Amino acid sequence: MALGFRGPVRIRDTSTRLGLRARLIFAFALGALILSIMLAGVTYGLVRENVLRQRETAATQQAFNNARVMRDALRTARGDRSSVLQSLQIAGSRPVLYHRNEWIGIDIETGQYDLPRELRTAVISDGEVARMRYVLRGETRLAVGVPIPAVEAAYFEIVSLQEVDDTLDSLTVALLLAALVTTVAGAGIGAWASRRVLRPLAEVSGAAAAIASGHLDTRLEDLSDPDLAELVESFNHMARALEERIERDARFASDVSHELRSPLTTLSASIEVLQGRRADMPERAQAALDLLVADVQRFQSMVEDLLEISRFDAGAARLDVEPVRIGELVLHAIGTAGAGDVPIELAEDADDLVVPADKRRLVRVLANLLDNAERHAGGATRIAVDRIDGGVRIAVEDAGPGVDPEDRERVFERFSRGSAAGRRGSGGGDGVGLGLALVREHIALHGGTVRVEDRPDGQRGARFVIELPGLVA
Amino acid sequence: MGTRILTVEDDERIRTAVRMALEDEGWIVDEAGSGEDALEAFSRAPADVVLIDLMLPGIDGFELCRSIRRQSDVPVLMVTARADTHDVVAGLEAGADDYVTKPFQPKELSARIRALLRRVRAGDSGSTQMRFGDLELIPEEGVVRREGKEVHLTKTEFRLLCELAATPGRVFSREQLLERVWGYDYFGDGRLVDVHIRRLRTKVEKDPANPRHVLTVRGLGYKLQP
Repeated sequence: MALGFRGPVRIRDTSTRLGLRARLIFAFALGALILSIMLAGVTYGLVRENVLRQRETAATQQAFNNARVMRDALRTARGDRSSVLQSLQIAGSRPVLYHRNEWIGIDIETGQYDLPRELRTAVISDGEVARMRYVLRGETRLAVGVPIPAVEAAYFEIVSLQEVDDTLDSLTVALLLAALVTTVAGAGIGAWASRRVLRPLAEVSGAAAAIASGHLDTRLEDLSDPDLAELVESFNHMARALEERIERDARFASDVSHELRSPLTTLSASIEVLQGRRADMPERAQAALDLLVADVQRFQSMVEDLLEISRFDAGAARLDVEPVRIGELVLHAIGTAGAGDVPIELAEDADDLVVPADKRRLVRVLANLLDNAERHAGGATRIAVDRIDGGVRIAVEDAGPGVDPEDRERVFERFSRGSAAGRRGSGGGDGVGLGLALVREHIALHGGTVRVEDRPDGQRGARFVIELPGLVA
Repeated sequence: MGTRILTVEDDERIRTAVRMALEDEGWIVDEAGSGEDALEAFSRAPADVVLIDLMLPGIDGFELCRSIRRQSDVPVLMVTARADTHDVVAGLEAGADDYVTKPFQPKELSARIRALLRRVRAGDSGSTQMRFGDLELIPEEGVVRREGKEVHLTKTEFRLLCELAATPGRVFSREQLLERVWGYDYFGDGRLVDVHIRRLRTKVEKDPANPRHVLTVRGLGYKLQP
């Protein structure tokens, strides 16, 4: 047998506060973010390197060409240096000439101070071709210097890299946007994947809920996924074991009660024989007989209650439905229960209040309610039968201590023992605490409801209300 | 001669205790521990009422009931395990007149037996001959004839027919019939009436599936159509 009682076993909860679903989505999104940022970084670096190198190569090439033109011009002393410089200028670049300790620019703003000192030193003093990237007045620039020793000059060309910077900025924005989109898409995929992964779990939880609500034969369907087959198998195994155990318990209660009926029959008959001879007995024997009579009676009603409830558990309870005039039934039930002096208020059209019902069960219901009132509240004080929408309502009131709101569900439970429930649940004295539980079972079998509430007139006491559907119009 | 009751019950202790309780009521009680013993005892000394526990070893209570019915219209009271099973209907269809459930109070048992005995004796008094189409009823003699041929009814079936025939065309509710025929107050089992009406129809109706005399009035009860 699978279900041995070894004390409660709890599965350790290793999860953080976030749900599994949220964690999956988060992981996917984070992965996508990291990946896209890495890709963006590499892309940006490569593009930047590439673009800058191209620009530098072009600028260097241009500077050499221009230096050659300038050298030829200075050699032949043809024309004015400034106008030669002007002619060498193209968009985005500014030439600067150093000639015989003199700096000549294309305009008044461009001169030696636009060039870094290191570059000037390298070109003029060391006579080397040099190239340098720098930022001046918020502008990224590239300066290339070419010495022209033949004419004691040096030619510099300043190229603005602002354009490249702008391009790279646009690229950055585009890459960031792409990263964002990728991250969101990652989260979306995470959500989809988690739903797929968790779908079997949703089925498991649905099945567990069905079992909890009494559908003990609920089983999970076999899934094609081998990863989940084990879960399905162990779940179904658990459900099977649970069902077997519950059935066995129900059968046991039923069997025991059945076995008790034979000795009880002998007891009742023997006691009857003894009671017929009570007058012949000594006083002590009479007292003992009285005790015996009372407790055999009590024993009998306990066994009857147990039998009745075990039939509900075994699912064997069956309604013998016939049209029942509720007013008539209530009057007879009260008479039989010895509560004939309880005031009863029947609706004016009580004769028309006919519902399909099992008479035997309804009589037991009323007897149990009256018995409950007798036992805990000194007897019922008022019984009312009314028409409600599509059904009838039977209310039994008493003047006892009432039922606390927190006990109003519990009094209908089996063997209810609690603060007030212990005194209430028909369990205090003679019964086994099944009286009100049986009321609820009988009424539920009729598709009706039973509840306990305060008396509507504000007086102390409880009011048990039964509502039965199916009024025959 | 005193009233004889045959008790068929396989549990000896129950049998003894019930015998003593019934003897205290002034009845003569014969005991049988099995269906076979019961049939033998019944053929030796016919009883006025037979009490049968349905759960018997060998011939079960249903079969015993049918066997007794074949030879006698003696009232049969059966003891069933519980009220809400098919056992009750099956037992009534096997020919039982009434039932009690175990565990029963001896007082309840003797009340049922007395009601059955009353029914047997009530056949004596009654009105004279009545005729409904092909059906002829002579309460005084306890005789029913259909198309001139005598139909054999049990005491309970006969009482039921007499009650319905007393005011032809009047609708009797199940409660009323339970009270008049079985001696129950309001709390009798309506199935007693239903099964007996069914049995009655198989005997007095030409076509029991389409009865002409013993009619059901839906939701109200039964009546005898003149």
